[in-house]
Formats: sequence, C-alpha cells, structure tokens
Amino acid sequence: MATGQTVKKWTRVYVNGYDMSGYTRSIGELQWEFDEAELTTLSDGVKGYMANQGNVSVGALNGVMDDTAVSGLHTVAAGLPGTPATVMVAQGIRAEPANGDPMFTGYCEIKNYKAEEDGGAAVVTMEFDQFSTTGLINYARPWGFIAHAKGAETAANTAVGIDDNGAASALGGYMVYQVFAGDGTATLKIQDAATNTNPSFADLSGCTTGSIDCSSVKHGLVAIGVTATVRQYIRWQIVLGTATTVTFALGFVRGQ
Amino acid sequence: MAAQTGRTVSKWVKFQCDDSGGTVRDVPVSSIGGVGLEYDEADLTAFQDAIKGVLPGHPDITLEITGPWDNSAAQAASGSAAAPALSGSHTVLNGINGGNTPLTLGVYIGVRHNWETGEPAFGITSTAANGFLCTSYTVNPDDGTYTAKFRMYPGSAAPAWGTAAFT
Repeated sequence: MATGQTVKKWTRVYVNGYDMSGYTRSIGELQWEFDEAELTTLSDGVKGYMANQGNVSVGALNGVMDDTAVSGLHTVAAGLPGTPATVMVAQGIRAEPANGDPMFTGYCEIKNYKAEEDGGAAVVTMEFDQFSTTGLINYARPWGFIAHAKGAETAANTAVGIDDNGAASALGGYMVYQVFAGDGTATLKIQDAATNTNPSFADLSGCTTGSIDCSSVKHGLVAIGVTATVRQYIRWQIVLGTATTVTFALGFVRGQ
Repeated sequence: MAAQTGRTVSKWVKFQCDDSGGTVRDVPVSSIGGVGLEYDEADLTAFQDAIKGVLPGHPDITLEITGPWDNSAAQAASGSAAAPALSGSHTVLNGINGGNTPLTLGVYIGVRHNWETGEPAFGITSTAANGFLCTSYTVNPDDGTYTAKFRMYPGSAAPAWGTAAFT
C-alpha cells in the first residue's frame, strides 16, 4: 500500500467480473453525496442540515468501442443497460493497485450504453445510476480498500493483513468480489485479527462468497451486520474446492 | 512575525476541518467556495412603497472545496504562523462524509505569509451542538481531484469571521 497523490493511469475498473481497464478512457465522477434535510427552526442562528440518505454512483465509463470476444467492452457492456452491475474502481497510488490501496465500489444500475464519435475515434459511454434496489445494503459508504489486488492465487493466504482503521470497529462492513477466471470451485473470504500475525486471523463471520464456480466470471457484494465487530487487521482468504487457481480481486469497506 | 495587513494571494490560504476522531487536520485544497454567510431575503415591499424593501432572514452557508485527491496519512494540523501540515484529503473526508457529528472548520487567509493569529479566519469551533457537517465527497479519477461540501449542523451557531484559530 502506498500513499499520496496519483493519476488516472493507475486507476483500474472492474465490472461484473471483467477487467475493463484496458478499454476504459475515463471513469467517474465517483459520487458519494447525502441528501440534506433542512432542520432549521425559527430561533436558530443559521440554517442547519443533517445528512439523510446517501447517493452513490460510479458516474460514467467512457471507453473505446471494442467487440473482442468474451471480454471486449462492447461484448460485455452492450447488453447491460437496464440491469445492475458490480463495479470496483481500484485506485493505485502511482503504481498498479496493491493490497491496501483505496477502492470505490457499488452495485449500480446501468442507465445506458451509447456509441459515439470523438475526434474520429469510435468510443462508447456507459452511465451508471445509483445503487440498484435489487442489491441495497445497509451501508452508505462506497470507499474501502483493496484486500486482494487482481491476481491469481493457488493456495491459502498465510500472509499478514492490512490495518485500514488503526483500531477495531463495531459498525460492520461489506466485501466486494470480482472473479475474473478460474478452473473450478472456491470460496473467497475476509478474515480479521486483533494482532497482525498469521495464526491470529479468523474468518469474519458472514463475509464469504460461499463456494462459487470460478470457471466463469463471478461478482457481488456481501454485507455483514451493521453492529458486527471487525477487528483491526484485515486480509483475504481463499479455500480451494475443485479449483487449482482463481484470478480475483477482493475489496472491503468498513462500516462508519 | 507579527500579523500583517493588506492584500494577499491564494498560496497563503489554508483549510482545516475535523477528521472522524474530532482532530483538526489541514486538508489540501485548490479552491474554496462560499466562505461567508448569505441571508434569506424577505421582500416586504408594499404597493405604496417608492422603493423595494427587504429584511434578512436566516443566514445559510454552503461551503464547497475542491483539491487534489490524496490518501497520505493524517498529520497534526499546523498552528499559527506555521506552514500547513497536509493530511491526505481522502484520509480526512472519507471518514467524515455523511456523519452527523458537528465538525470544527476553518478557512485561514494568511496575509503574504503563513496565516497567524490576527489575520482573517472564517469558521467555527465545534461543540456537541455547533459545527459543520460534510454532506458530499465526490472523486474524479480522471484528473485526480475531489469535491466536498459542508453545511451547518441543525441548531448550530453561525460560523463567523475572526482572527483566531478554530480548535
């Protein structure tokens, strides 16, 4: 994990188990706003507001028109409008996204997919709406961190984890996963620990995909209870079933 | 140095607000909009008046900042006469957006040097019932920037111009 400023060439976009980074020209704005309920009374010295429901959206993805079989942007996205998509925007910090780097996520409805011309280039724009009601979670925060940067794993994780909060919390959280490739079944999980040593980690209850067939793309959000305790250190974990290798990205958002 | 008077430029402006733990941090900004109160105007003009007349109602404030997105670790905020000690914008704003705990916020206008006590400052020191709330934090990966918006907590005292730090 690195810190500091960065530029867009280190941004990666994953949609429904496909890495769209190689087709995407821009993504965003990454919207996280709250409705403002005005609660001003006659005797108040200044108008006052409270944050009400959150609005989360990935904005718009602008990319090159590419109909490459299976994984091309057009192949993947042309049929998506009117359906929700699991989106991860992994923000590398002056390098490829790494474990611990920031990540923005959502399960957003896709409003449209339109082909356009831009200076002679054949491009497309796909606009994301807000969270789909078919996948609402009890969390309004879309920013978390990358627990597992996109890559292949062939064995369980015995490494230490990430300290994303400086302390344990008791406000739950959720994970987001994108499985890009694999050759069988596996279970992806989040584990937490009070001390950052391999034997200290244990499964974060409920934060698991369950056994999924990774031989085709998989994606989704898995939320745990909003009062669940999440210990200070977080790491990814995989339990291989019939799979011998799984390529995936995993993110975690701590509740606030 | 002593506090100075006269004209200045934006490189001497700094922005501070509480993080999620209630600790004041310097946040990197490239623009600050809405630094000041704007009053509702009740138009009370009668037909018989020769000129329109108004009275001020409640003041309101929408303070919006933009700046470079940055996830650097939090730093102890700068004090009077000190250069800003910038914390990462993401580090601070990701923790406070959508929260309902009043925040200390200050916009400091240094006069041809780092701001120090005696030079203009606008904001409020938070209490349990007074302060700002952050209601929006939007990131644009295309240019590596963010935008955030702040409104007043219900029932809060109004922020004001002064010449001392908000703590």
